[in-house]
Amino acid sequence: MPAHFLATKALEKLLSLLRKQGELHAPQRGDDGVLRFALLKAGDSPDLDALRTQLPPKKYLLHPRETILTYRAGSGYQEPQGRSSPLILFGVHPCDLAGIDYLDRLFLGDAPDPTYAARRAALTLIGLSCFPDNLCSCHLHPSTLKASCDLYLQRQEEGFVITSGSLQGTELLEKLKEIIEERDLPIPEDTRRFFGRQLPPPSQSELDAAMPDWQELANHCLGCGACSICCPTCACFDVLEFGGLDGSSSERLRCWDNCLFKSHAEVAGGMSFQKNRAERFRYRYRHKYRGFGQLKNIPSCVGCGRCRAACPAGLDLRTLAERLERGNP
Amino acid sequence: MKPLRLAIAGLTACSGCQLSLLNCEQELPQMLERIEFHFFPMACSPAILEGEYDATLVEGCLSMPHELDLLLALRQHSRYLIAVGTCAAWGGVAALRNGENREELRQSVYGSSTATSGSFSPQPLHAMVAVDAFICGCPPEKEELLNLIGDLLRGALPSPISHPVCSDCQMRENLCLLTERSALCLGPLTLGGCGARCPSLEVPCEGCRGPVPEANLSEALELYLQKGYDHAAVLGRLRRFCPEWKS
Repeated sequence: MPAHFLATKALEKLLSLLRKQGELHAPQRGDDGVLRFALLKAGDSPDLDALRTQLPPKKYLLHPRETILTYRAGSGYQEPQGRSSPLILFGVHPCDLAGIDYLDRLFLGDAPDPTYAARRAALTLIGLSCFPDNLCSCHLHPSTLKASCDLYLQRQEEGFVITSGSLQGTELLEKLKEIIEERDLPIPEDTRRFFGRQLPPPSQSELDAAMPDWQELANHCLGCGACSICCPTCACFDVLEFGGLDGSSSERLRCWDNCLFKSHAEVAGGMSFQKNRAERFRYRYRHKYRGFGQLKNIPSCVGCGRCRAACPAGLDLRTLAERLERGNP
Repeated sequence: MKPLRLAIAGLTACSGCQLSLLNCEQELPQMLERIEFHFFPMACSPAILEGEYDATLVEGCLSMPHELDLLLALRQHSRYLIAVGTCAAWGGVAALRNGENREELRQSVYGSSTATSGSFSPQPLHAMVAVDAFICGCPPEKEELLNLIGDLLRGALPSPISHPVCSDCQMRENLCLLTERSALCLGPLTLGGCGARCPSLEVPCEGCRGPVPEANLSEALELYLQKGYDHAAVLGRLRRFCPEWKS
């Protein structure tokens, strides 16, 4: 079957077409050596070999700190005004696409979050194939989460095979007609095949290791929170309200929270559901690999390897998870 | 609405924390509409301690008998007493040489003058009085001070921070100076809330905001050791702002 083929030398044309659709962001390496999704200015090239940006694309959908309500005397609580302008993310790998699928299930489920929904509706995703490195685990633990996007670019010698994944993608393909060739190509398998699988739910055993296992991890944890901040599916947030100096107005903020922090499970009266770091690790494991609430039985680790790359102490929750799962038939 | 009656006092410190509040020039006129800065010697005269205060903000640590008298009086007449800045919260740089002979230290600076006689090893406020809230930093962030005022206007206290500087730093997608440059960055041990001001400029965290709750010092010391910093060097760095760090 003929495939839509885009030669590498025609990539710039695709990028300029995308720029006409909205603000184009893509992985780029900064002067400090950090890979980030950032604005791709005309003439700049995306880093096609970037395996993992330091923060996942969730930063565009859930800002680390954002106003969700404002209060003014007389008008009460108001949602922030302003529309989301179109944003195109180029070069999103399958794990990050699956991460967005998870966030969609969380924030567009039965009670859609208006801020998230507006940004998501304005987001165009251009996926890009990749090869796993030694930190990735997508190939070891396939996922039911879908790596969906509007256009998907599968790297080949000298170019990309492009496939559409949405109506918008098909419209984009239509506009690309001039630069796309039809070629008879065997479509190679890539990491996208590890996502969107029909998988049995994870074993229902509690997999509650004896506390010493969690304590061992906790002993080495510096509590920096990097593993959760860089996780494409960690979406826990705290809600804080700050009063204005007029004594009546206020801003209510949503801020990224972190299950490894003391305050995460604290409730009124100074009580806590997770009193120490070992209990927090167990909680993190159960949320990440077992799921709960509406998303029970949907493991949310997409295998991007960011937490392994970011941990200053070199910890890996996955290693303990694997050991536990082997020990529980 | 009844104005918020505030006392703002400075003990042994550089006055930088009080200055940070005065530097909120844009917000000061609005504050003056709601706040009665009744006792604020650095900014308003005359400064007479009189009546009851809704809240007292105290900068600096305790090192002189008259400071202790003032602090006790303020505590007695204030609904809330808030330690503002790392010196008030942890002792700060003035406490750097606690543990050494006080009289020798005093004489090496003041000679035979009696101006500072009676001075004692600098202590954080909570060593002597109950403290209702802590705003850390050397100096604290402007936002933290404004949020504190906002909270006090509603009769509330600020929520304590429990995340480290690393968390602020990661959210800004900064280069990790600890893992990537093996720098002696104190981010994992230091209370966040500063937005990782220094690491964002590629300057390692100096720990000026004091310890984060549940700091894992022993593991951090091991990690710094692997990177070539011995325990004494790390503890020396940590204690510049908080003498309570112990190995």
